[in-house]
Amino acid sequence: MNSNKGLLSSGFSMVMRNKRYIFWFWLLNLTLAEFGTAAFRRSAHAILDHSFLSDKLMHSFDIGVVVELLQRPEFGRTDSMTSPALYFGFLFFLFTAIFLPGVFAGYASTYRLPREEFFRTCGRNLWRFIRIMIIAGIVMGAITAGLFALNGAIVKKATESTNEVLPFALQMIGFTVIFLIMTTLRIWFDLAEADTVLNDQRAVRKSIAAAFKHTFSSLGPLVTTYVVSTLAAVAFLLGGLSIWMNLVRPDSIIGAFVIAQITLGLLLIPRFWQRGIAVSYWQQHMQAPVAAVQATEATPVVTPPAPVAAPPEPVPVVSGSSNPPEETH
Amino acid sequence: MTTRRKIALLALFVLGVTAFVTRKTVTAAPQAAAPAKAAEAPNSAPSGGLSIPDTTLGVNSSTPMSQRIVHYEIDARYDATNHTIDANEVLTYHNLTGQPLDHFPFHLYQNAFQPNATWVREAKRDGSRDTAYDHWDPKEYGSEEITSLEVVGQGDLTKNLQYISPDDGNKDDKTVADLKLSKPIAPNTFVQFKIAFHEQMPETQARSGWKRDFLLGGQWFPKVGVFWHGAWNCHQYHATTEFFADFGVYDVKLTVPQNEVVGASGVEVSDVNNPDGTKTVTYHGDDIHDFAWTVSPRYKVKEATYQSQMGPIKLRFMMQPAHWDQVDRHEKITRETLDHFEKWYGPYPYKTLTVVDPEPDSAAEGMEYPTFITGGTSWFMPEGLRFPEVVVEHEFGHQYWYGMVATNEFEDAWMDEGINSYTEVKVLDDILGKNTSMINWAGMTLGEPAEQRLSYASVADRDAMAQNAYDYYSSNSYGGITYGKTASVLLTLEGIIGEDIMAKAMHTYFMKYRFTHPTKEDFLKTIEEVSGKDLRWYFNQAVYGSPVLDYEVSQVDSDPVNWYVDKKDKKEPKKGAKDDTVYQSYVALRRKTDFVMPVEVEIKFDNGEKIREHWDGQSRWTRFSYQKKAKVVSAEIDPDHTIQLDRNNFNNSFVVDANPKPTYKLSTYWLFITQWVSQAMAWWAV
Repeated sequence: MNSNKGLLSSGFSMVMRNKRYIFWFWLLNLTLAEFGTAAFRRSAHAILDHSFLSDKLMHSFDIGVVVELLQRPEFGRTDSMTSPALYFGFLFFLFTAIFLPGVFAGYASTYRLPREEFFRTCGRNLWRFIRIMIIAGIVMGAITAGLFALNGAIVKKATESTNEVLPFALQMIGFTVIFLIMTTLRIWFDLAEADTVLNDQRAVRKSIAAAFKHTFSSLGPLVTTYVVSTLAAVAFLLGGLSIWMNLVRPDSIIGAFVIAQITLGLLLIPRFWQRGIAVSYWQQHMQAPVAAVQATEATPVVTPPAPVAAPPEPVPVVSGSSNPPEETH
Repeated sequence: MTTRRKIALLALFVLGVTAFVTRKTVTAAPQAAAPAKAAEAPNSAPSGGLSIPDTTLGVNSSTPMSQRIVHYEIDARYDATNHTIDANEVLTYHNLTGQPLDHFPFHLYQNAFQPNATWVREAKRDGSRDTAYDHWDPKEYGSEEITSLEVVGQGDLTKNLQYISPDDGNKDDKTVADLKLSKPIAPNTFVQFKIAFHEQMPETQARSGWKRDFLLGGQWFPKVGVFWHGAWNCHQYHATTEFFADFGVYDVKLTVPQNEVVGASGVEVSDVNNPDGTKTVTYHGDDIHDFAWTVSPRYKVKEATYQSQMGPIKLRFMMQPAHWDQVDRHEKITRETLDHFEKWYGPYPYKTLTVVDPEPDSAAEGMEYPTFITGGTSWFMPEGLRFPEVVVEHEFGHQYWYGMVATNEFEDAWMDEGINSYTEVKVLDDILGKNTSMINWAGMTLGEPAEQRLSYASVADRDAMAQNAYDYYSSNSYGGITYGKTASVLLTLEGIIGEDIMAKAMHTYFMKYRFTHPTKEDFLKTIEEVSGKDLRWYFNQAVYGSPVLDYEVSQVDSDPVNWYVDKKDKKEPKKGAKDDTVYQSYVALRRKTDFVMPVEVEIKFDNGEKIREHWDGQSRWTRFSYQKKAKVVSAEIDPDHTIQLDRNNFNNSFVVDANPKPTYKLSTYWLFITQWVSQAMAWWAV
């Protein structure tokens, strides 16, 4: 329990020390989504802006008006609205993959990581992350597909029961099991990503192997911390939606926008918290002992970070350079 | 009289023996032999002659309410393991056609659920809500087999049965069998058929059949066609058609396992346990034209009484255990619907009403039979989602528009489904609110009128209302036109003749045509008579034709009259001072499609002035012009919102100053969803 608490708190403190990452990812998320929704906005403006009928949308969410809007040929096909949204959603995922190494480095750092260092880390680890993502995609995709197929078969079998709630209950149990297994896999690859960045590991297979070993040797504490952070995400989402529905007036556009963005900003925190937990775990359990490194007379390039004691002249965490970082403001 | 009775009894005995020996299968499906013993029907014909009983056990009336043509006496045994029914049916038919009848067509509806049947072909073509046919197992098929048919006085005529397919010529369709008699039945006399039949009920399709341990017995017995307008009317069973039958009396004995909870049309007469672990429940129905029943060992039942204008009605709610907490919702909407129908249209005369909450996922939801309806809900159903209320109200409405006003559902589906959808809008709007009668949940709203109009708008130009139900372009078109368009046509009609007049017309129509088979012209003429208006211009377009209605405000302009004066020479009015500029304004309206309808338009000016104009809609467009010291700020066609038929309501108005707020609101929602999906993708993938 104490180790869980330690991981949770240390991971969370990393997120809090680096709040700017949340902000930038939120801004990236918002910007890309703005592009993704532009087609929808353009079509809706053309139909709604000069019609009295659209007033019905202001006092409640009148499904009839929305359906009529979607049915209009001049509004365009539904996939012309959803495709850009998905495309820019995919871009957000790509940008996340690109910038994540910098986040890991920033979390592990005992000082504010300079911008140049952040992007250098991102660049150095880009191809490594792509390889990890491919392997993770294959492993997670195969296992998830199998689990969903199994869950579907169980639920289908359950529909033969005279207990109407049974299929739903089994589906929820199945989803929970799938979530836990997926979370375990996510922990595995989060640790692999952390190890790759923080160990400056070129051979990602070694990071994946080490992360696999650690994931299953500390499965309980790690899964618990990830579940706790996921529950936080659920709480943020439900809380945000509840406030939106109950406290924001139906005709308040600004109110809706603000509460939506606050909710989405808060929703980013739990996932970054999980990454903080991965970094914290790496520092506590996967980092090579400093003494051992010194014994091999390693060059400064591979010197691991010193997470606890902040040196008077900080040593870069992942950089091969021994120059002190520049403080950025 | 005595001698004739003896001869008749002797003839019956001989024919019975003959029937037993020469029994012949008339369906293709091989089935087990049916019990040979003759039906021991209650209330059998009086000795010395045949007749239709004049009982009133099932109605709150001292005299029969309909012209009773048929009397069905059925003794059925249900095998709950194999989902089969073996039954003996005695049908007494009163020939009131005014002419001799030498043949009788019978519906054998359960044969629709065979791979080559017309019903399945159509359902497969259009997509069925009931079955994924690629995975359809033969054990889920249905079949209906007359194992013997005797006509009293003419002997066993089983061999005379011939399958016919009057609608599409499909030789593989066995949903109608025609019986050629040895000698015609004279006008105003009776004929009695003794039929033994065996049925394999299908896994539920078209609100009939079994699912798990549940059964809905709908369209389950050989039923004679209707002699209507000088000919037999007995259509094949189609994927989009329902039914048509004569009024009469039903006496039905159902023998089922003792653990089953039984519900059925009519009044329960007795419930007797048998030594073999079964029980026989007997029902009697007066002035009805069909009989349906259900069994399941898991029903939970609530009974209540409703005091109608004609007497007490026993309400029976048969709920799924997981839905028991919704029984009060079902009762409440049933009572409120009864209140409205009795007040607006006329009295409900029957002594019972059974509301069945059918097996989930059973394709048995939302169906009407006389005094017996099925609802539809699920275990999770917040109060603001009014689907159970909508279904119960709609199916109850069919007690009037189908049950009593028994229109031909094969040929005029809009007259039961559509008129019923119209009254559904009226009743539910009154009970649950015009904009919230379907959904009022989590900040979202949807009203019945919008739902009906949208279902029509998506298929507006596909078909006319007045056409055979099986001749629609698709099942979507059938649904959108018969339900949605009819409701929208009648709501629009309110705007033409007035809501009160329309209400009076509906009441008149019900009272005049209850317990009869009215035609579309009966309905339309009633409206014209009550309103005192010639409405052919409207009916020809809306009912008999398929033109689409779409009016548009196509131009709103205001320009200063002295637009040619150089700007620098113009005197700009001081802030807050009255603008004395005279504007030339134009408002143009367009009729974009072929439906011609006079409309009102309201034009608003920036000085607060409002002008209402009338346009007969005869030309393709019209333009109104004004010269005022005010600019036009908006124009709106149909400002009172009486025209439900307009396919596009967005272009019915034009506001000069754009209001982007609704778009921003929707965009905010869409933005949120997009961002959230992006985050979820990134959560798991990296």
